[in-house]
Amino acid sequence: MITVKDLHKSYNDLHLFKGISLNIKKGEVVAFIGPSGSGKSTFLRCINGLEYFQKGEVVVDGIELHSINRIDPTKEDLEAIRKIRLKVGMVFQQFNLFPHMTVLENIIEAPVRVLGIDKNTASENALALLRRINLENKVNCHPEDLSGGEQQRVAIVRALAMKPEVMLFDEPTSSLDPEMVGEVLSVIKDLVDEGMTTLIVTHLMHFAREISDRVVVFDKGDIIETGLPDEIFTNPKIGRTKLFLSRVLNK
Amino acid sequence: MFKKIFNKVIFILSLFFIVNLSSNASFCAEISPLDKIKERGSIMWGADAEGGAPYIFPDPKDPEKFIGFEVDLAEAIARELGVKAKHVQNAWDSLIPALERGDCDIAMNGIEITPQRKEHILFSRPYYVYVEQLVVRKEETAIKGIDDLKGKKVGTLSGTVAQNILEGMGGVDVKIYPGQVEPYEDLAIGRIDGVLLDLPIAAYYGKPNPKLKYAGNPMGEGLYGIAIRKEDENLKNKIDEIIDKLLRTGELKKIYEKWDLWNAAQEKLFENIQGERGYVDLEKSKSAPVYTFFPYLIKGAGVTILISVTSMALAIILGLFLTLLRLYGRKPFNNLAVAYIEIYRGTPLLIQLFILYYGLPNIGISMSPFLAAFIGLGMNYAAYEAELYRAGIMAVPKGQMEAGLSLGMSQGLTVQRIILPQAFRIALPGITNDFIALFKDSSLVSIIAMVELTKTYNILAASTLRFFELGLITAVLYFGMSYPLSLLARRLENKLKRKK
Ligand SMILES: Nc1ncnc2c1ncn2[C@@H]1O[C@H](COP(=O)(O)OP(=O)(O)OP(=O)(O)O)[C@@H](O)[C@H]1O
Ligand SMILES: [Mg+2]
Repeated sequence: MITVKDLHKSYNDLHLFKGISLNIKKGEVVAFIGPSGSGKSTFLRCINGLEYFQKGEVVVDGIELHSINRIDPTKEDLEAIRKIRLKVGMVFQQFNLFPHMTVLENIIEAPVRVLGIDKNTASENALALLRRINLENKVNCHPEDLSGGEQQRVAIVRALAMKPEVMLFDEPTSSLDPEMVGEVLSVIKDLVDEGMTTLIVTHLMHFAREISDRVVVFDKGDIIETGLPDEIFTNPKIGRTKLFLSRVLNK
Repeated sequence: MFKKIFNKVIFILSLFFIVNLSSNASFCAEISPLDKIKERGSIMWGADAEGGAPYIFPDPKDPEKFIGFEVDLAEAIARELGVKAKHVQNAWDSLIPALERGDCDIAMNGIEITPQRKEHILFSRPYYVYVEQLVVRKEETAIKGIDDLKGKKVGTLSGTVAQNILEGMGGVDVKIYPGQVEPYEDLAIGRIDGVLLDLPIAAYYGKPNPKLKYAGNPMGEGLYGIAIRKEDENLKNKIDEIIDKLLRTGELKKIYEKWDLWNAAQEKLFENIQGERGYVDLEKSKSAPVYTFFPYLIKGAGVTILISVTSMALAIILGLFLTLLRLYGRKPFNNLAVAYIEIYRGTPLLIQLFILYYGLPNIGISMSPFLAAFIGLGMNYAAYEAELYRAGIMAVPKGQMEAGLSLGMSQGLTVQRIILPQAFRIALPGITNDFIALFKDSSLVSIIAMVELTKTYNILAASTLRFFELGLITAVLYFGMSYPLSLLARRLENKLKRKK
């Protein structure tokens, strides 16, 4: 489903990725862990074209995204990015709901404007999705009237309304108060149980272990280890993974 | 409501006069103006040298020096008084207020002797008999004289007898200009159909222009006098004596001949005339109750609103275009937008208006006063709006764009649907404040023959000399229009603050 090959990425002077590769199968759930600043977010953002990269290849469901100078992207590149984004939904740490729109408007904006679905159908779909997360009574609220947990659940539903084949989560619970983490995790868990291909960056190790089929460990811009969750968490092969896990688990 | 304000105005006005009278009274007792002039060694005479030929204007050979028949006359008077003549520059409209304020000893600048003015000031005996001369384009055949002006656009200066004549005729579309150069230029390029002004002006600015000609005989004979403060009776007597002497010695005639201004009409100067011949009587306007001016002022306020609203609309749309070009445009175009914004913010609006209205006709582009005002204000404020939008866009969190993009929306669609609505909300208080500023800046367009509120005030005040009370009313009108906007801006600001 997703193939990343020989990915090179620099931020100005910082040469972050020096050729990393990863394959993800359809329906697979992959958790990304690693120290802060190791490049987990950047990796996810390269997949849906939010970050440009200098060298390498990202292939999502057969759509190829090539490297080279993207300060002035070609038509083909932009077209590939657009197609990939239609297949890949993303949920951010900061929710990024549109504050000037109601919950319903947030959800139907892209289906109506991008997919051309008529407003009534899109609204019905949105309501069905909201019902599943028990937020149908908030349909006409503005984001500022929702709690953090509710906002993040709406953000997930907003991405799902585009019927993506892959979901990217970048620390979806990190800006939430502890009592709201559970409700967001359970929505993600439902999604995973339905077979959604999922890439999730998280600092919650127990959740990573519980939910994922595979764990990818990042350090200093490199993938230092990948493996089954039970292996990684009980018997990591790499010293740096051990060090990282002992630091976060002892906290 | 209005009655209350009106009473207050009257109260302040009477205070003003009491203070004025008492200070004058004590002043007179101490030292006579004639002694003051002699002590100072110079007589200060007020006149407007801007486009003032042949009265007073910068010498083309030595622009630091002023020449003109009134300069010669002022020097002759000064010589007779045994002092030097010192010119005090003032806009023609405000010469008499400047005289009353004490900025100069006398005002001499083609000021017609009229009963209204005589209420406020003294006039010397006349020093020139003027006539009004109509000037039209060379190819004009329909206008043979002043009687053919019905339905035509005719230019003149504010506060002149010519203006009174034209307005007294009814049915003439009178265009009021700030200086004597501009009406003839507008006539030559066809913005107006005729210019009626005093013969000396027509002789200097109209006649030499190959595109223009005199139409009909001069009419509306009247007299120029030197304006002197009401309490300076002895100065007036002295100046009368001097003019009498200059007439008898033939020196005055020589001055007029030098400037090609002598004609048979001047023989009348020898009669002891004090009259107000040729003057269209608007005596009533002097003593009329102040509310009779309301319709004019309110019409002017209407024009101000029209100009402000239309040019603000242009500024908002053009500003948005500039911001989008600057932030999302391709290489040479984004720099062009930056250049536009910097140039418009870095040059005075007044100069922009001058270039637009009086400059562009030199290269064959001529527009109506309204169009020039609309474009001038709109293009200027667009630069400021663009900067407000840009600040607003910058203030929208980066995640909003990323959220839009990751939902498959294009950059353009995200800007339109997600970024701009939020940026606009952030910019709204600033836009409202700019609207208030534009509102007041719209008074600048009075320099391009646009009669809005400020110009209406100038015209009314110059012909009735009621600068104070009309000024207060005009200020109240401006305030009445801008204050609701201020309230709106403050409410928007508070609303925005609460959201954060
Ligand atoms: N826009 C940017 N410009 C310059 N450097 C950046 C930018 N974004 C990220 N970086 C740098 O790239 C490195 C990787 O950042 P990234 O956000 O991918 O790490 P991360 O693993 O997601 O960390 P965290 O757990 O803190 O979110 C960091 O050193 C960061 O400072
Ligand atoms: Mg991150």
